[in-house]
Amino acid sequence: MRTEALAVFLLSVAAAAAPADRAASAVRSAAALSTREGLSARSTLLSAQGTAIVQLAHTYDGYRVLGSHAVAQVLPGGTVRTSTQELLQNVSVAGEPFLKPDAALALAIDRVSPLGTPVGSPTIERIVFPAQLTGGLPEGVFDRRLVVHARPAAPYVWAYQANLELANHRVFSVIVDGNTGQILRNTEIRESFAPIASRGTGLGMYAGAVPVDASQLADGTYALYDTTRGTLPNPWLERFTPDDSGWTPVGMQAWFEAHDSRGKPLGSAFLFQQNPVNDWGDGQPFTAWSNENGQNGQTAGVDALYGTAAAWDFFKIIFGRDGFDGRGTTAVAAVLQTGPLLADNAFFSPFLNVIFLGAGSYPGNPDGLASVTDLEIVAHEWVHAITFGNQLISSDESEEGGIVEGTCDFFSQIIEAWAAGPRTAVIPDTGTDWLVGKGITHGGFLRSLVKPSRNPRVPDGWYGGIAPLEPHSKGGPIGRALYFLAQGASGNPADESYSPFLPQGMAGIGNDAAARIWYKAVVEHLFGDLNGKNSFADARAAGIAASLELYPDDPAKTVAVENAFAAVNVGDAHGAPPHTLVLFADFRDGDWINRAHDFYSNRQVLPRNETVAPRITVLNNANTAVTWSLGGLSLWNGANQFTTSGGVINPDGTWTTPNESSWHAITATSVADPKQFAEGRAFLINIDMDTDLEQDAIDMGGIAVSWFLGAALNPAHSVFTAPFVDDTDVAYFVDAYRSTWPAK
Amino acid sequence: MKRLLLFAALLGCGSNPPPAKAPAQVAAQGLDYQDPTTGSYRLLRNPASTVTRLVLDLQGPQGEMTRGIGFNLKGGAGIRFGKFEDGLAVQSGGVYALGTFGISDPGEPVAVTGGVLPDNVLTVGVFQKDRGFPAQDSGAVLLRIAIEFEPAAGLAAGTEVALQILKAKVIPEDIGATTDDPFFLQRKLRMKDVVIAAGKVTAL
Repeated sequence: MRTEALAVFLLSVAAAAAPADRAASAVRSAAALSTREGLSARSTLLSAQGTAIVQLAHTYDGYRVLGSHAVAQVLPGGTVRTSTQELLQNVSVAGEPFLKPDAALALAIDRVSPLGTPVGSPTIERIVFPAQLTGGLPEGVFDRRLVVHARPAAPYVWAYQANLELANHRVFSVIVDGNTGQILRNTEIRESFAPIASRGTGLGMYAGAVPVDASQLADGTYALYDTTRGTLPNPWLERFTPDDSGWTPVGMQAWFEAHDSRGKPLGSAFLFQQNPVNDWGDGQPFTAWSNENGQNGQTAGVDALYGTAAAWDFFKIIFGRDGFDGRGTTAVAAVLQTGPLLADNAFFSPFLNVIFLGAGSYPGNPDGLASVTDLEIVAHEWVHAITFGNQLISSDESEEGGIVEGTCDFFSQIIEAWAAGPRTAVIPDTGTDWLVGKGITHGGFLRSLVKPSRNPRVPDGWYGGIAPLEPHSKGGPIGRALYFLAQGASGNPADESYSPFLPQGMAGIGNDAAARIWYKAVVEHLFGDLNGKNSFADARAAGIAASLELYPDDPAKTVAVENAFAAVNVGDAHGAPPHTLVLFADFRDGDWINRAHDFYSNRQVLPRNETVAPRITVLNNANTAVTWSLGGLSLWNGANQFTTSGGVINPDGTWTTPNESSWHAITATSVADPKQFAEGRAFLINIDMDTDLEQDAIDMGGIAVSWFLGAALNPAHSVFTAPFVDDTDVAYFVDAYRSTWPAK
Repeated sequence: MKRLLLFAALLGCGSNPPPAKAPAQVAAQGLDYQDPTTGSYRLLRNPASTVTRLVLDLQGPQGEMTRGIGFNLKGGAGIRFGKFEDGLAVQSGGVYALGTFGISDPGEPVAVTGGVLPDNVLTVGVFQKDRGFPAQDSGAVLLRIAIEFEPAAGLAAGTEVALQILKAKVIPEDIGATTDDPFFLQRKLRMKDVVIAAGKVTAL
């Protein structure tokens, strides 16, 4: 290709020659074309000033060279100015194409027909294809990966260009290698209507009467489609085929799940659209099954879009974050979800950048939730995008799950406060009640940040063995610490914001500073790897680091971070000595089971129907005595729903285990400091493999003889009395033995 | 009782010599072990033994092929069962192939364990878990245990300390094949009783 930007040649040409011929002659003189190369006028335009603008296609043996062309301007006086910047040089192709045009067209049709039904009369043209042009628009965008087209070895090859239109109005230009039949390039040619951003009005069930950033589409109707927020396409929406309405996968939008008249999902989803007026929703609970796109159904869309936009703007204005993923990827709220797992739930899909919000089963189900589209719920879900950005996960088995959910709860309240105010660059200290889920629970709430234990499933502070709790429950202490940081803790035991771990109380630093510290902590200091490795102690350290960076000249803020976390039993108050720590001993320590099953902290394996002494560690106190009790918080809501309690705690502190092979929860509380306790889980196993009623090491021989038999023929040989015996049996047996009858 | 003894002493006055004085008891400082002289499976003194810690090797009969062995051993007053470097009360003798055939993973669980049950009963076991390995000749050191002197027991020197094998079993060579009919295979998934001879422990 020529390197000069614009070469101007003044040539005298015969005045009688047509402009196209004069242009071609001038370009041929300017460019060193071989005898097999030619120039063919593709178009000629005559300007108002009488200048002819001639586009010249580059040919080889009369066939167009794809992407190679020249432009010439023939002035009224006959002067010709040429541009050969786009003219390829040294074009040469050997032989003749192997494929016939019909065969090439068939290959092109095969390529695009999965995207729609070909219609009309496709065209096919033999061309010279420069290998450097291999590629085209991304194909197979479901997972955002490009389809890599094979690049020919020769710089130029014979090819066919097929232009095809599909019934859905998508148009493709497909280049097929004339010899190999490989697709060299596939380009979608799209010319569509741009939707017009249009602010309408909405009536949400929770938001009330609010402005709605919608769009007017090509047919003049409106959609809950906000083109002002989002610059990259949404991965989920890219699965849907654009039509000629002007819709694209770019721009925040609200969708709904479609149902039949009885509320049974039809397995399809749609944009709220085709509204003849830009007014949305009726503010009422949803009842109009099969008419989700109607005014009643729109209500959930209004609330969801309103909340999503508020959260988007919050992160933009307060933290300068471009969208929830920080890159401007379009956010989508999909409402009116149903089914046993979704109707009363909400979740964020990290790979789709979509939040799915339940329709709610109330009042049909008196214990169910109302439409799960209240702003704080919407905000909670979108904060998951922030935490997931650092690969932090809402893990069932680690403290990181609590960090994530506590963070989402905290920011849900902060965003609610911000959205209720003037929405400036400062977060107000008022505007929220610090109760998560108050709107959707018809008078109740899901979680309290002031006193999490108002929900008996949620602890107020950290304890050894909190990790197996359900993530939202173990998020209680994190949410409370952040509440204390923002709003302070009372020194009066009668107050909900009083903490026995910080009996003197503390002053808050305000919502704005607390949110800035915690955002920085989460985004810049807490990194995960989708394995849930971060502990509450890591969270505290991240908060302290963020505070020091944000407010280096204001040590009081860092002291507040220390005290806020100390108030939920994570670390010590500023300047205080280490407090008593009770830890249920974890015997794993990186052994085989630990490597094979990563969730074995706070767990021990013990024999069933035996008197045992679970191991416990008490640190930072000379009095290491503990009192044991059966059960613990995980019985309420543990990730392992099969946890139970049983047996007898004996006067000497030993535990006579029940004759049940299952997880059992037990709790050890410090005698010296009863605020401190640890809950552990013990799996009780069978170790009488030879069924002689003696639990001795000889029994392990039963495991050995049945080890990895395809199907264990004697379930007594399994520590689980299961129909299979493997290394888990070996490891569990050894551990149970080591902990129950150690050599002194 | 004192009065009766005095009366007896008075009666004894005369030309008879005074009775011999019982020798004073000497507190034991350690242990001695004499290997059993009979038996096919025997606990033998390991040369690494010391006065306060006896290391005993379990050795089986030459030519008898087994895949593992375990036993319960009750110790009398004055001794306790010790542990080895890994904290276990037993150490494999190296005869049995403990891992998985074809796999070399140092962290793999192996069927070796032991502990001390109530009443000072040592229970130990070392077993091959992978039937892909052949049975091994038992005529070598199959496992080791340790017996330690317990000074707090106040044993007198010369006292014999009881050692009693309560139960002992081996996994025999024939444990069936996976190609066997399950009915017959199940009948072979059993251990076999054996007799282990323990030596004589004497307090020193």
